[in-house]
Amino acid sequence: MSIVDAAALDPDAAPVENLLELRGIRAAYDGIDVLYGIDLTVPRGSVVALLGPNGAGKTTTLRVASGLHAPSAGDVIVAGRRINGARPEELARCGFCLVPEGRGIFPNLSVRENLRMMTYGGQSLKHIEEITMARFPRLRDRRSQVAGTLSGGEQQMLAMARGLATEPALLLLDELSMGLAPIIVEELYEIVAQISREGVSILVVEQFARTVLGAADLAAIMVHGRIAKIGSPDELEAELSTAYLGA
Amino acid sequence: MIESQDRVEQFRTEIAEMKLRDPATSRERLWLGLGVALMAIGAVLALVAYLVSHQTRDPLVQNDALTIGLAGITCAVVGGALFLRYSIASFFRFWLARLIYEQKAQTDRVLEGK
Repeated sequence: MSIVDAAALDPDAAPVENLLELRGIRAAYDGIDVLYGIDLTVPRGSVVALLGPNGAGKTTTLRVASGLHAPSAGDVIVAGRRINGARPEELARCGFCLVPEGRGIFPNLSVRENLRMMTYGGQSLKHIEEITMARFPRLRDRRSQVAGTLSGGEQQMLAMARGLATEPALLLLDELSMGLAPIIVEELYEIVAQISREGVSILVVEQFARTVLGAADLAAIMVHGRIAKIGSPDELEAELSTAYLGA
Repeated sequence: MIESQDRVEQFRTEIAEMKLRDPATSRERLWLGLGVALMAIGAVLALVAYLVSHQTRDPLVQNDALTIGLAGITCAVVGGALFLRYSIASFFRFWLARLIYEQKAQTDRVLEGK
């Protein structure tokens, strides 16, 4: 599968700069290969959805992209620079943000304390709270509540808020919809679309494909550690069942 | 929020300035260090073997000294091989880079001369 950018979908479009590129990425756990040459790009300011059934290698792809897992082969290119071997905390400090599967919040701390943890970048808590409350008004009344007692949707909002507090340029989202009601998922993806409109490039991994296609500019289907198909959401929607069921 | 255009430019600058360590280079440095350490240990063991054998007439203790001496030789040989392997790799890498640079400079000179 070749590297795809927006120009591939629209031949008349001007060349688009890619903020994230994965070239021939292979990765393994304890010597067992799980990714077999992933080629994927995230053009600047777009939402790319990485879809696929459970165990396809989507989360590993995100882990490799964000520096949490070293690839056994291939290149991770961010903003035009090969960053293999970069430490994840350094990438995060630059504005490369991963919201992990399972929300990644501190459940025994309050919402405000969770946000305070994001002041490491030098921003004040007040500034972070302003950004958060503007984006997620629902968290305004929950500031003193222990994060573990929030609803699933609110916890996911807090996880996203923590990521967005650093004003990322590149945002990776892993399984936003996991364990959430469809109406909450819809609300979250509206926020994702809004973030994208503000110029943030987003790579979102999602098992439940149809929930994300409405917000995505490009989509890729991953099966058994390989990219099976890349295209526009409309093109891929028809092929989802085939890809997932392997028919 | 920072303007998105500025944010992306800032992101690009920070990524470009980020210091990266190549894991392969660190591994090579580790092997090189191990080689030097083994050579040093070999020399120390040789000295210990000499001192042990020199201070006794007991053949059993002298046999121990022989064993220590042989272990020292083994350490020094293995250490020397590791040092040679990884220092040569590093030298050849530099030499190849230099060769490519010279070739490119030569090509530029030829093109300018035309």
